[in-house]
Amino acid sequence: MESFIESLCRSYKVFAPVKKGVEYSFERISTARDLHLEYTTTILPPKKFFTPPRETIFTFQGDETSRIEDLIPEEKQILLGIHACDIASFNFLDRVFLGFRSDPRYLRRRNNFLIFALTCKEVSETCFCQSMGTGPEVSSGYDVLMTDIGGRYLMEASSNEGNALMQSLGLQQATLEDLEAKRGCLENLKGQFKRSVDRTGLVELAYNSQEHPVWKKYGSICLACGQCAMVCPTCFCFDVKDRMDISLKSGERYREWDVCLLLEFAEVALGGNFRKSRDARLRQFICHNLSYGVMQYNLMKCVGCGRCIKACPVHIDITEIARELREVMS
Amino acid sequence: MKDPYARDVAEILEVHTETHNTKTFVMRFLDKERQRNFSFIPGQFIVISIPGVGEAMFSISSSTSNHENFATTIRKVGRVTSMIHKCGVGDKILVGGPYGSGWPMGQLEGKDILIITGGIGLPSPRPVITYINEHRNDFGFLEILYGTRTPDESIFAREQEAWRKMKNTRLALTVDYVPEGVQWEHKVGVCTILCEEMVTKPRNAVALICGPEVMMHNVVVELLNRGFHEDQLYLSLERRMRCGIAQCGHCQLGPKFVCKDGPVFKYSEIKNLPDSYI
Repeated sequence: MESFIESLCRSYKVFAPVKKGVEYSFERISTARDLHLEYTTTILPPKKFFTPPRETIFTFQGDETSRIEDLIPEEKQILLGIHACDIASFNFLDRVFLGFRSDPRYLRRRNNFLIFALTCKEVSETCFCQSMGTGPEVSSGYDVLMTDIGGRYLMEASSNEGNALMQSLGLQQATLEDLEAKRGCLENLKGQFKRSVDRTGLVELAYNSQEHPVWKKYGSICLACGQCAMVCPTCFCFDVKDRMDISLKSGERYREWDVCLLLEFAEVALGGNFRKSRDARLRQFICHNLSYGVMQYNLMKCVGCGRCIKACPVHIDITEIARELREVMS
Repeated sequence: MKDPYARDVAEILEVHTETHNTKTFVMRFLDKERQRNFSFIPGQFIVISIPGVGEAMFSISSSTSNHENFATTIRKVGRVTSMIHKCGVGDKILVGGPYGSGWPMGQLEGKDILIITGGIGLPSPRPVITYINEHRNDFGFLEILYGTRTPDESIFAREQEAWRKMKNTRLALTVDYVPEGVQWEHKVGVCTILCEEMVTKPRNAVALICGPEVMMHNVVVELLNRGFHEDQLYLSLERRMRCGIAQCGHCQLGPKFVCKDGPVFKYSEIKNLPDSYI
């Protein structure tokens, strides 16, 4: 495994989970020693590679604006060690940024990356991908899938590029027993989930939940800090701003992640605000994840990664809200 | 691939002062092909952008049959609109669009058209009025009910006389209050009081409503009470927008993107959605 990673690092920029304090983060690695494939989840999801937290839309100098090719060079890179939930998030983001209109920035960044998925080794406290139908098995959306089958990695390619890369490395042929071992790993994972969401009729249920007391209950403790949306792998909202150089002749237009939990998010001219209350903002975040996303993209926005649960300073839990939504309104 | 975030340079040809805080800007794309290909449906909007300051969305207020130039009518309310208001003839700005759905022009032919608008809501249905005027025999009765806060906030004042003189057309005005010493020969009261003397009957009518959301809510209630069906009412909504192409996420209204699925919606599509007054 080590020599395999080293050889990837020689030919590509490789981004993978590394240890960051007590947490993990997707960062550039230059050697196999940086890599921590036993990670459970990262602080920020891998969306940051396709739609960075702050990204230049264009720079301008007088009437001249920059070209995307200059801002985002074409360069094959590898995103390695991506779990099933995050792999599923790419599908959702693709529909947002390449569906109705194609954003060439997202497209360029997305195409720059080969995706090496990784079968999880363990299920963490906050994971619920199984109930969202996005994991623990990675079934599509990757170039190469890696599974630790006990000291050795089973490598499966699902794209021509992934296949060619594996061929070039001269790996040992996998056996039927290896595939069987992978199945065993998955079965083992499936029994470990502590959290789940019942998706039966959930889209309708959340859609019709406007008056449900659950929003007041959790809205009253929500700090509206927006961490849940910042760490969400499918939250895509951004604000657009301009910055002028001190010369006042050139500058840039950039976008940066914005979240619906913040007061200013739904503000309009003359101080109007369509989501003034925290109840309403929390409801927007949760209902987008459990309901509206399906109506917009025919795909559940929530992939069950559990990051929002982990990040919430007041322990608001989307799986608990989904459960309470089923309780009859009093 | 055309970058949807790119903007095109347009030159300001004319500036008309509508009120103390509202101006109409007539523009033309510098790129001749862009100008030639620029067509829109009444009710669609554009983005106007000033590098270094920012950009914002505005309804197109000019006629759809004019391919030489286009116009938008802007009230000064914030940073971007204040900067646009400083622009004059010959200045260059950046423009993108058009975006969004427009008024349901296909549904309007042969119908009586009732336009109810408030304040800075009038620019959106103005191209509908112009279109009806240009194809007067294709439509039934046209009734325009327009409310503003004060008499001097009424926009397109120079055109209102022409609208009054249009065949088979009625224009009625109201203001919330009349400041002392100001002459006003029309109604006083919120927009819905114009519904009391409304001539349009529900039977063969379509209502186009654009204004502050609370006003639109009250108008909808009034029209439903007067026998209009939900599917006869169309509303143009306002939301914060940063992209116009359903990517920035700001304009979400339940499962709808106001920029892509709207801004014009049939009432039945958006009633009962959260975070709106409708």
